Amino acid sequence: MKKAGSAVSYLIAFILILMISFLLPRLMPGNPLMAIYGEEALIAMTPELQAELTQRFSLDDPLGTQFVSYLKALLHGDMGYSYFHNAPVFDVIIASLPWTLLLVGLAVLISSFLGIILGIESGYRRGETTDKVLLTGLISLSGFPDFFIGILLLLFFGAALGIAPLAGAVTPYAGKTGLALLIDVLHHLTLPLLALVLVRITGTYLLTRNTMVTTLGEAFILTAKAKGCREREIRYRHAGRNSLLPVVTAAGLQLAGSITGALFIEIVFSYPGVGSLLYNSLLARDYPLMQGILLMTTVVILLANYMIDLLYTRLDPRITYSR
Amino acid sequence: MHINYWQETKNDFFGKLGLILITLIVVLAILAPLLTSYQPQAYTDTAFSPPSWQHLLGTNDVGQDIWTRLLYGARTSLIVGCGAAVLSILISVLAGCTAALFGGLYDRLMMRLVDAMIVIPPVIVVILVAAYLRPNTLLMIVLIAVFLWPGGARVIRAQTLSLKERMHVAAARTFGAGWLHLLVHHIIPDLGPVIVATMIRDARRAIFMEAGLSFLGISDPSVISWGKMMQHALRFSYLNVWKWWLLPPGFALSLLICAFTFLGFSLEKILNPRLRKGVSHAGD
Repeated sequence: MKKAGSAVSYLIAFILILMISFLLPRLMPGNPLMAIYGEEALIAMTPELQAELTQRFSLDDPLGTQFVSYLKALLHGDMGYSYFHNAPVFDVIIASLPWTLLLVGLAVLISSFLGIILGIESGYRRGETTDKVLLTGLISLSGFPDFFIGILLLLFFGAALGIAPLAGAVTPYAGKTGLALLIDVLHHLTLPLLALVLVRITGTYLLTRNTMVTTLGEAFILTAKAKGCREREIRYRHAGRNSLLPVVTAAGLQLAGSITGALFIEIVFSYPGVGSLLYNSLLARDYPLMQGILLMTTVVILLANYMIDLLYTRLDPRITYSR
Repeated sequence: MHINYWQETKNDFFGKLGLILITLIVVLAILAPLLTSYQPQAYTDTAFSPPSWQHLLGTNDVGQDIWTRLLYGARTSLIVGCGAAVLSILISVLAGCTAALFGGLYDRLMMRLVDAMIVIPPVIVVILVAAYLRPNTLLMIVLIAVFLWPGGARVIRAQTLSLKERMHVAAARTFGAGWLHLLVHHIIPDLGPVIVATMIRDARRAIFMEAGLSFLGISDPSVISWGKMMQHALRFSYLNVWKWWLLPPGFALSLLICAFTFLGFSLEKILNPRLRKGVSHAGD
């Protein structure tokens, strides 16, 4: 029952997003071909090519027919053609996707781990100095926009100290292989990764701390204490473990934030992932590419959230989501 | 039973800090014309001048006074933040309350829509729409509110469902009160704290989104905004100008978002009694 309901929500969300990305360029004033492909690309096109594209998108037909051919093209993995990169949109995105996945994946792992540990320690010491310092520091940190944290790190470590590269993911034309290449990649990854971890950590930390505080008030903790369990055991086995569950959901809810955060941070560091691609497509008004990126990012986020939803029901059998 | 929210917020460290910071920024934004002798759009004769008594934060590449633009930029952030929060809470209250009061098919459809909207990542979709529309301040507010309201609607519906079973609401019903009367006189007043908490959260996200969109360069180019100042200044980061051009709008933005975060955090603590001190629990 629950699975069906949740799947329908995601399906509706997906259709809404498809409609937005389909309708927007077509409802813009002027030639829809111009809105779909951008002014510069249109000027460069020959009239024959324009006619062919009009035919291909069925732009002379009613909106319903256009939508059907739009969906058909998407099903074939055809997200349009980027005139700026002179390649199909899908190929352009796939080429830069690994860098973003690397960045987001590592950041989610590291920040969740650190956030949980800090949250447990801080929640256990509620009201003490350690807790107050951590709480104030991390809440203030969460006020910093992702791109500004990136800028600060870039200016401090990259420009002022000069110990980190200013842009890119590998040293260009260095021809490094094996271990040298790995070190080079990690060297370039450090600052963007640090920025994203700093952006993400507060959410996990606050949630773990809050659950920790409520869990510590429950009877089984008192029982554990009465049994004479060691503090460490109570902290991690009894209370900590029970505080984990909401963190899994939070990881799902924060995934969208992590990905958009990564997009902004990549722009600051000119990291060659999807974010930089998006920024360049916005600057160049490369509309097909921009649409493709946003559509694909949303689909990835929707899919991941759906899977976390399913995982959550497995983790906690009490949840049935019945209304 | 009844909590004096205002008093609690003022007594809480984070609440107090947030209120003071927001008041400070609002005052600076309102008094902007008195605090500077330049117009934000006006060009002076010197470009890239370092901070001096004439130009507190120097001038940018086309000779505009950066301190002036910083002050006027606060207006944009505050207007977008508050505007989006107000518009979004209006939609949330309307959707959430009517869904809870009417129930039935309407409620199910409304909640289905909310569930679907909630899983849509707002920043990405707003970027998509903004890239086509290049929104001015008003359109930006509408655009952000359209994607912010579902979260609030869900909370308000849940709260209304419990409120409508209370005695005084039932009493009003037996006197024949219509749904609008119930809503305005009996339910919305009791929703107060939830509404304020939702608005603070929404305002924070809206300010964040506005800054992000202008940082990407997809808002109306004539609007002065901290995000756009940073995008502009980042292009000149190889010069020394970032110290007085790039950092001030960044820190101003962070300070404003921090202020809303502090306030929201303190309210959350006040609204959730289990997180409050004074409630006895093991470990204290």
